[in-house]
Amino acid sequence: MMNDKAKNIITEARDMAQSRGIMASIHYHRENSHLMRIGNNSVSLNTSEELTRIDIEVIQGRRKGTHTHLGEIGSADELFSIILKVSEKAGKSAEMDFEPVLTAIETNVRTETQYDVALDNLNPVVKEQVFSSIFKNTGEDYNYSGSWSSGSTETFSVTTANNNSAWHRLTDQQFMCVLKHPEKLWELASWQTGWKAGDVNAEITINEFNSLLPVYENNDGFKVESGNYKVILGPQALAELVGLTVWTGCAGRTWEMKMGWTADKNIGDKVLHSSVTVLDDPTNEQVFSDPLSDSGMLTKTQTMIDRGKFAGLLYDRNTASKYGKKATPNSGCLAMQPGDGPADFLEAVKDIDRVLYIPAIHYMNMPNMSKGIFTGSSRFSAVLVEKGKIVSPIFSSRITDQFEDIFGNVHAISSETISVNTSNTYDRRAPRAVSVPTWMLVDDVKITDCAKSF
Amino acid sequence: MSIFNDLKETVTRNIGRVMDAGAQYSDARWYEDDSSEMLVLLDGNLEGNDTTVESGLGVRVLYGGAWGFAATSQTANVDTCFDRAMANAISASMLVKVKLDMGKMEGHTGSYTSPYKIDPIDVSLSDKVDFLKGVDDSLTEDWILRRMISVQIQRMIIHFWSSEDTYTQKKLINTFAHMTVMALDKDKQMQRRSKSLYCETEGTRGWEMLTNPALWSGHADRVKSELKEVLGAPELEYGKRSVILLPGQGHLQVHETIGHPLELDRILGYELSYAGGSFVNLDSFGKLRYGSDKLNASAYGSIKNSPGSFGFDAEGTPERDYLLIDKGILVNCLTSRAMISEANQRAGREIFTESGGASRSTAFYRAPIDRMTNVNILPGDDGTLEDIISTTEDGIVVDNPTSWSIGSNREHFHFGCEIAWEVKNGKITRVLRNPSYQGHTVDFYNNLSAVGDESTWIVEQVENCGKGEPNQVMELGHGVPVLKFDNVVSGERR
Repeated sequence: MMNDKAKNIITEARDMAQSRGIMASIHYHRENSHLMRIGNNSVSLNTSEELTRIDIEVIQGRRKGTHTHLGEIGSADELFSIILKVSEKAGKSAEMDFEPVLTAIETNVRTETQYDVALDNLNPVVKEQVFSSIFKNTGEDYNYSGSWSSGSTETFSVTTANNNSAWHRLTDQQFMCVLKHPEKLWELASWQTGWKAGDVNAEITINEFNSLLPVYENNDGFKVESGNYKVILGPQALAELVGLTVWTGCAGRTWEMKMGWTADKNIGDKVLHSSVTVLDDPTNEQVFSDPLSDSGMLTKTQTMIDRGKFAGLLYDRNTASKYGKKATPNSGCLAMQPGDGPADFLEAVKDIDRVLYIPAIHYMNMPNMSKGIFTGSSRFSAVLVEKGKIVSPIFSSRITDQFEDIFGNVHAISSETISVNTSNTYDRRAPRAVSVPTWMLVDDVKITDCAKSF
Repeated sequence: MSIFNDLKETVTRNIGRVMDAGAQYSDARWYEDDSSEMLVLLDGNLEGNDTTVESGLGVRVLYGGAWGFAATSQTANVDTCFDRAMANAISASMLVKVKLDMGKMEGHTGSYTSPYKIDPIDVSLSDKVDFLKGVDDSLTEDWILRRMISVQIQRMIIHFWSSEDTYTQKKLINTFAHMTVMALDKDKQMQRRSKSLYCETEGTRGWEMLTNPALWSGHADRVKSELKEVLGAPELEYGKRSVILLPGQGHLQVHETIGHPLELDRILGYELSYAGGSFVNLDSFGKLRYGSDKLNASAYGSIKNSPGSFGFDAEGTPERDYLLIDKGILVNCLTSRAMISEANQRAGREIFTESGGASRSTAFYRAPIDRMTNVNILPGDDGTLEDIISTTEDGIVVDNPTSWSIGSNREHFHFGCEIAWEVKNGKITRVLRNPSYQGHTVDFYNNLSAVGDESTWIVEQVENCGKGEPNQVMELGHGVPVLKFDNVVSGERR
């Protein structure tokens, strides 16, 4: 945990900058990360990283500079000397045609409502035991791989705009296990997430695998010919689609730059099916909360898509300044609202002859952002469903379609929601999750290619 | 005592300590300096003016056939870091089916420095901004809606010690740059055209590389004029035709469908839960016809100036130049020591005789994994781009990706591109908009019908290859000529 010394160093350095009239923000980020990776039924990597970063931003009129220092800072003088260097950098920068905005923390914040000391200090042996239990109770002849990342993130932010500070600490974990048949090569996957030590449970994964194994073991793969199909999208697919749809359609910067699929749309226009509502909702318990927006505002629930209508755009502080808009209290906590369908997707499709269930879309990308065209392929646990019964696994099939069609041709949506962890660890630990319905049934989804393998 | 000598003594003492405690192998990488700078000009505004400085130690311990890894940014915590890596290895060894082994390598010392004249980190910000503003000016036109210029530079000084008494030291310099212009087409869709800084194989990697007009900034007028042509062009119709890839597109095709499927850790199944697997298996080597006789692919390629040229990998193994695909037959892949040991053990024969020197990590706080070095297609004997076009009846020439989506085992793919030139009866007839093509990897490379000569071959840089958990971004290069493939599904079905 961050100690008082570190807080004092940062606060003192802020005061020194304030007294010199420097417009600066100082953001402390500390992570305690642990990751166990599984490959070929073994622990292939067991890592621990304890890292501290200090991010500094200095604004001088229409110029700015930013710097990240990875490592501990020993004194306020040392930190202030870095601030001075960033200030010098900002001074040598080029003037912009708008004024960058310094974060102003709205009020003092201290939150750790999603912090669990047991998860922060989780013994790797617990992870090893959970994976071992899954192997033992699902079948040790299969090939297993997976990963389990857990840890804590602690941030402390101050700026020279005022004397407020924000401290936030949370724990998170992301669990994934893949079961692959060594000869037939099909793959099943199970995902779990949460912020408490007990949130990941071997039984959940064992049950998910055991419910699908008979179908996979007893049926060959189904090759999906190119054409339009009814498709049930599962949670991972939905979470990624919701994220991309919002990023390319409801981000203020994208819209102002006329880059996305809503470029020619206005607030109030009907853009998606009336059953689709998407919020930025920091109060949702299925996401990892973030108390402050990038501009320092307390985050609040905002609606981007309201029953199919384009309802709002999300503006960060600099985009708002550049385009003369007000910054919005963004949390980045996306939540798609549930529908009124049954919890079990098989129940929802019991009268439909043929449906594809695609729980996750692998390697999604966008060939045409203006038209909202995306492409990606099915992978784990994708199956053919007939009259509400799973009849066979499907080979790797490519979907190439548009957001407006996927979220426009909605047939039904589950009444239950689930949290999908969307964190990535390319840089620092930054927990993110999306709350989505457990399934969404869509008509006329374009399948454009299919491999002869899984 | 200097920091270096102090740390060397502490690290070697700790390596001895964990070896005495039963470890099979241990190594440590100290990033004395890992500095980077990112500058982004968006419509003339310097919106990105960011620097990062990192320094720290990453420690690996192999115990009971399992890896433990730990990292610290505090050089005072070296003992604790080794303790943690050892503890992680011990707990990992409780669940091991195939015990990892590093094989044997003689201890050695060595050093490597990227070729450069002017360290780009040391160039003043004012000079950098003046140069980029000049490039931005050359892209500015009333009809262009968006201009984006980004430059990323890196300087890394890395020391490596192992329990085999190997010590290597390297100083790596990398310079990347991209320019992009965008405008709305006749259907109000945003179109773009771009150019990335590429390498001369015998050239240097410093500031002088960025400011050489032939490699980047001198392409501004061409990029603008090609975008203008795209704006009023018809869309590519769906159908099967020949597809000719310029290096701006060909390098990504090679990256995604030769580079990634030939990473040995993917082949062995260690990336299944994230990046995916590979359609290649251990029986494929020496047998799989990956492509036509015209396909010859290499790793590293003795390219002096490339982000995929680094002297020694993260296990101290010298970089090697070797063939991956020989006249269409798969013969080797991208390897590290533990992976070749496991592969040979699993196959029951010696498929791989020595590590390919492809163990790399993105930072001191990430464990090394199998990565691309330079993955190249060797030049062929089908002449120039014009020669290849002249022998094409019905096709398109495409350049630069707008999107890429690859199957989980790299068995199929879909690419969108910035621009296509239609080819009919040996001649370019017009520009086409929104081009895309898709295929199945082995079928696609077996339809490789023409490979351009050395005049068409350049080394494209990649600075953002993602892989692994925790995720790692890696820099590398691809030397590629112009490539022609027949019977390719291209365009989108309406």
